[in-house]
Amino acid sequence: MTYQNRLFKLLNSRKAEEKYFMPFFVAGDPNLDSFKEIVKIVEPYADIIEIGIPFSDPIADGPTIQEGNVRAFKAGINTIKALEAIKELRVFTEKPFIILTYYNILIQGSETIEQSIDITFENLKNSGIDGMVIADLPIEEAELVLNACEKYDLALIFLVAPSTTEERLEKIIKKARGFIYLISVMGVTGARESVDQITKDNIARIKKKTNKDLPVFVGFGISKPEHVKIIIDAGADGIIIGSAIVDIIKNNLNNFPSMKDKLVDFHLKIRNSIKERM
Amino acid sequence: MDYIGKYPNKLGRFGDFGGIFAPEILMPALNELNEAYEKYINDPEFQNEFYNILKYYSGRPTPLYFASRLSEYIGCKVYLKREDLNHGGAHKINNVIGQALLAKKMGKKKLIAETGAGQHGFATAIAGAYFGMETKVFMGEVDIVRQSYNVYRMQLLGAEVIPVKSGSKTLKDAINEGLRYWIANVHDTHYLMGSVVGPHPYPMLVREFQRVIGKEIKQQILELENKLPNAIIACIGGGSNAIGAFYDFINEDNVKLIGVEAGGEGKNTNKHSIALGLGRRGVLHGAMQYLLQNEYGNILETHSISAGLDYPGVGPEHCYLSKINRLIVGDATDNETLNAFKKLSELEGIIPALESSHAIAYLIKNKDTFEKDDIIVINLSGSGSKDLSIVSDYIKFKINPKEIL
Repeated sequence: MTYQNRLFKLLNSRKAEEKYFMPFFVAGDPNLDSFKEIVKIVEPYADIIEIGIPFSDPIADGPTIQEGNVRAFKAGINTIKALEAIKELRVFTEKPFIILTYYNILIQGSETIEQSIDITFENLKNSGIDGMVIADLPIEEAELVLNACEKYDLALIFLVAPSTTEERLEKIIKKARGFIYLISVMGVTGARESVDQITKDNIARIKKKTNKDLPVFVGFGISKPEHVKIIIDAGADGIIIGSAIVDIIKNNLNNFPSMKDKLVDFHLKIRNSIKERM
Repeated sequence: MDYIGKYPNKLGRFGDFGGIFAPEILMPALNELNEAYEKYINDPEFQNEFYNILKYYSGRPTPLYFASRLSEYIGCKVYLKREDLNHGGAHKINNVIGQALLAKKMGKKKLIAETGAGQHGFATAIAGAYFGMETKVFMGEVDIVRQSYNVYRMQLLGAEVIPVKSGSKTLKDAINEGLRYWIANVHDTHYLMGSVVGPHPYPMLVREFQRVIGKEIKQQILELENKLPNAIIACIGGGSNAIGAFYDFINEDNVKLIGVEAGGEGKNTNKHSIALGLGRRGVLHGAMQYLLQNEYGNILETHSISAGLDYPGVGPEHCYLSKINRLIVGDATDNETLNAFKKLSELEGIIPALESSHAIAYLIKNKDTFEKDDIIVINLSGSGSKDLSIVSDYIKFKINPKEIL
């Protein structure tokens, strides 16, 4: 089967030992032009690029991503501008784009929820987006989104947490496409110092239930090459890093060339640590 | 109409509103809470224990008081449901005792809560002390400053007050921070939601614990007047006191249910909290509801003189009742509210909470629409003692302690 969707195309042709790196950026952080430039310079080191569409009340995010959202809002970001920026970036790369956002951002634009989702998803598709993670949309509420994803050939990536029961896990796996996004810890997003045993146990638990067609990516808390090694060795197929990257942006706001150097350096280190385990 | 017992459905829906828009990490805890609720809510032993605490500890039933001088001023019969006489000074105690008891049965050791005016935080601190559970209360910095009295009270009861510095530093941000904390501590902690907001089962659960208000009103007004009231008026922020007072009257078509939102500096300014009247449907804090938001779905900052009503959304059941025209929605501005606050104090010797003063303000400004024989019940949801430091900035006092020395 041949796929138009870049994420499906990438994952469909994968070998079992293949490992992926998906860095995360907040659209418009620290401003739109810098954001676009950052994505372009780190693109060679990433397999998939995850982009946050800012929401005013991100309950699943820790202080780092919240501050990234605030910086982006202060610099004038909104959903339309974020999608335009992604469309511009699409010209430079064929790597899959996944957006991360909250449900309320996707249900604007029309009287009914169905129509709003339809309008939004057509926009997502036209902007060159391949899939999405919706932080506050559990499987119970996902029907409308799943239908629209089918219509526009987009992937709805489901989150799985350490607290997810076996029964829920099975339901989620049945509906999931692309990959499973495993939240490594019980908590919100944010860089952490070490990898918990709970992370390793959960990778094993979920890998046991999934097959080659549904790789498991791990995110939340990963900040160092050492973490990458432990998580890959535990059986994960992909690594998602957000807060550690947004922290680099935050810590170098006054020096853009240095910010870019540090971002490239960080991506290179992560890339290499993934390569070593393949 | 035939309404009671029909909503929400299994997915927590009141028509198009409500639902469970929560991060996956919280879903098992929400399901667990729902199961515990189903198990205990109709258990006579649980109900007995719940009501006995409200009776002996909080002083229920609260009086339904015929306000004769206010009635004369308005030109109809006005009764006040004295929720301000509860232990803690507000209706909030009903819900916290119910939820803390449920949490205890579920084996949870700790309570967390958000608070705006501090009334729910104070009530949660009371429940924490009563049940011997460690309690943390998340409160926006803006609210900490304007409700300092409650900040002292919570700490005296042994609760930890956690200042919230994000966003608008008010109620909505306190909920965000409380949910984030819960995400990381869900194994031993119950999130004690303070209003009929949040993901399912909260709007249903909080309503059931607040229903005692309306049940008492019904019994009391029948004893006093031998008929049902023409209208019940309550303020609506999230809407817990309102749904508590309204719920057992929803089937009674001849009883008007009037919810009064915070008009702030006026409908035509952007400084208000009129979510039912002016909001657009959207999802915040786990539920589909009417929200004050911009065209992109980002939540707007709201305003009200009363911290307890300063919230951009409103409980999903109120959204549904308003959509099917069962709920009449009104509003009162900060100024109208301050006048009502003064008026009730002078006429009846009762200082109402600024939140509850919105309901009185609505009654005053619409007094010409009521007939002489009409019976109106105002849900006086809380006491105004907590509001004196705010009010003293607005009302001219002959002797103002702030200006001496």
